[in-house]
Amino acid sequence: MRQLVATTAIAAVTLSACGFVNTGEENAGETATTLTAYVSTEQNVGLEPLFQRFERKTGTTVDASHALVDELNKQLRIQLTSGTAADVFRVSPGFSSPVAAGVLGKEGELADLSDGSWTDKLPDDARALAESDGKIVAFPIGRNALVMAYNKQLFADAGVDVPTTWSEFKQVCERLKANGTTPIATAFAEGVALQFWVYALASTLVYAEDPDLDKRMMADEEDFVDNEAWREVFDKFLELRDAGYMSPDALGVPYEQGPQLVATGEAAMTLLATPALAQLAELSENGAEDFGIFALPATDNAEDTHIPTAPDFLAVNASAKNPDAAKRLVEFLAKPENVVAYADAVSTLPGLDVDLETKNPTLEPIRPYLEEGRTTAYANYAWPNGDVQQTLLQSGQELFDGSITVDELLARMDADYDKGTP
Amino acid sequence: MAGGWYAFTDWTGRRVAPNFIGVANFVELVTAAEAIAALQNTVIVAFSTTAVQTVFGLALALALHSTLASRNLLRTLFFAPALLPPVVIGFLWKYILTPDGPLNDVLRSIGLDGLARSWLGDSSLALGSVIAVVVWQHVGLTMVIYLAGLQGIPEELREAAEIDGASWWRRLWHVTLPLLMPATTITMSLTLISGLKLFDQVFVMTGGGPGYATQTLSLIMYKEAFVSGRYGYSTAIALVLTMIVFAFAMIQLRALRRFEVQP
Repeated sequence: MRQLVATTAIAAVTLSACGFVNTGEENAGETATTLTAYVSTEQNVGLEPLFQRFERKTGTTVDASHALVDELNKQLRIQLTSGTAADVFRVSPGFSSPVAAGVLGKEGELADLSDGSWTDKLPDDARALAESDGKIVAFPIGRNALVMAYNKQLFADAGVDVPTTWSEFKQVCERLKANGTTPIATAFAEGVALQFWVYALASTLVYAEDPDLDKRMMADEEDFVDNEAWREVFDKFLELRDAGYMSPDALGVPYEQGPQLVATGEAAMTLLATPALAQLAELSENGAEDFGIFALPATDNAEDTHIPTAPDFLAVNASAKNPDAAKRLVEFLAKPENVVAYADAVSTLPGLDVDLETKNPTLEPIRPYLEEGRTTAYANYAWPNGDVQQTLLQSGQELFDGSITVDELLARMDADYDKGTP
Repeated sequence: MAGGWYAFTDWTGRRVAPNFIGVANFVELVTAAEAIAALQNTVIVAFSTTAVQTVFGLALALALHSTLASRNLLRTLFFAPALLPPVVIGFLWKYILTPDGPLNDVLRSIGLDGLARSWLGDSSLALGSVIAVVVWQHVGLTMVIYLAGLQGIPEELREAAEIDGASWWRRLWHVTLPLLMPATTITMSLTLISGLKLFDQVFVMTGGGPGYATQTLSLIMYKEAFVSGRYGYSTAIALVLTMIVFAFAMIQLRALRRFEVQP
């Protein structure tokens, strides 16, 4: 008997030491003080120090993991279905993927954040994407914009200034080309950079002129193929290709080489999302001093130019194990000083309209656009499903290499649009 | 078993019960342009890798089944790529094949500028480039299977043919190749099956592009499930792919076994 007791005691101690046996005390502690988060690798750069501050301030442990956006999107859907998703996670805006705020909001997977103290500071375009069925279900930790980055030295060598109209932009390209430089680095191997061109041109040509177009398209009153503005987007894109302003063999150039070509002076400009400016600075010999940014013009009236912006969302799991702590974390991140700290850390724009200013001088040229409200959301966020974007990525490559026409591409996008939200 | 059911539903991976939609997923698979392109590419990849890899693997095995002093080193070098994960190979060749990558640099440095191409960015070359990389990686495995087969052929059979005055070519055609048929059956079956399932290298090197030029069934199966959230349709693709692999493998196995002979 004594031997049995001794054996049982040793086994209990051993299992406990190995972590196989949880005491009630440990379980209670874990639910009360641990919060799980699953964010993108890009977000993690800015969030990690803020999570640490939150931990110090509240005593709540933030158990955060991160993955690249593509990977995160794939895993999150499975985690939600299997009930293993984190308390706080990144969601895409609109209906752009199966884990976008609009899709998950409709499914009831996201907690209602409408009573947050920060909701009155939501920029208009972010608010539209953060809402689902009249409730705020996502918090914009940052706000990305699509901008044209240019190599200052190459511009100086060619004797050109930053263009403000479409005609000036083409003249700049022509001068750079005549000077022996590839005017625009276009790394279209994966299609990601190609879609940026579509969103940047559509911001000015489509949505600035006709902000209600998506509502009419949703109501089946309009489509891509019959919309002249959408046709103009692709016509202008092809105009640059045909003039020889883009990288030769663009469809074979991987996405990551775009900033690299500008940093090394092999190309003068590249269109990118603001978080990629940090990468461009790292690659450039003198950091951020070597390059500048401007908004891509699309008409001959500089006042028409708009820039596409995209909120970078976090959401709270409707089935969070610790919903109160999750909402407290969002409140903490929404404090003006934390909004600005995050924006500075990841070279992006503040997610909320806060009074504090960021310390990133690189973004100064686009500040007037934000202050004057000359921004629109990325076009794909208002599309009803992710398939329209996938078709743009793949058929857009076919358009670029001349395999299909603009009409064929727009018709394919219409076909996917008509599938609606799954 | 569950997959068999989900293939007939509109399952989106959500926590709601999927709806039964009959054969709609299968109809889409045989009518959607993207799926048809993927099916064609899958068949092209499977048959070309099988043919090219078998011929080159056999040639390497014959060349290295000799008294050559460096044969063991060469066998190791040719077999080494087969030991690396396909994803690693994909990233390596994606870099080598970029327009300003090492391959074009070498071509330009030896005056062959005209041959420098956008190997993965040109839709007429991309699928061929992927096939070449797949063959490069796995030809060593085919070589090893053939070497094992060659070592199992009794030397006296070849010597007898040689004494009878048969040329090298006639000895190869009438003695070696018939006795290598079991090895041929194994290597062709394995290559055909892996060609039909090809995913990793395409995913890493081209993502199915440019456009749909290198799209394969495995790739659209993955995209439909994990990018578009159409798990029902994706399961239907998986089911069809399984049936295609099974059918091709059985036909090939039966056809090749008829030619097998014992020493």
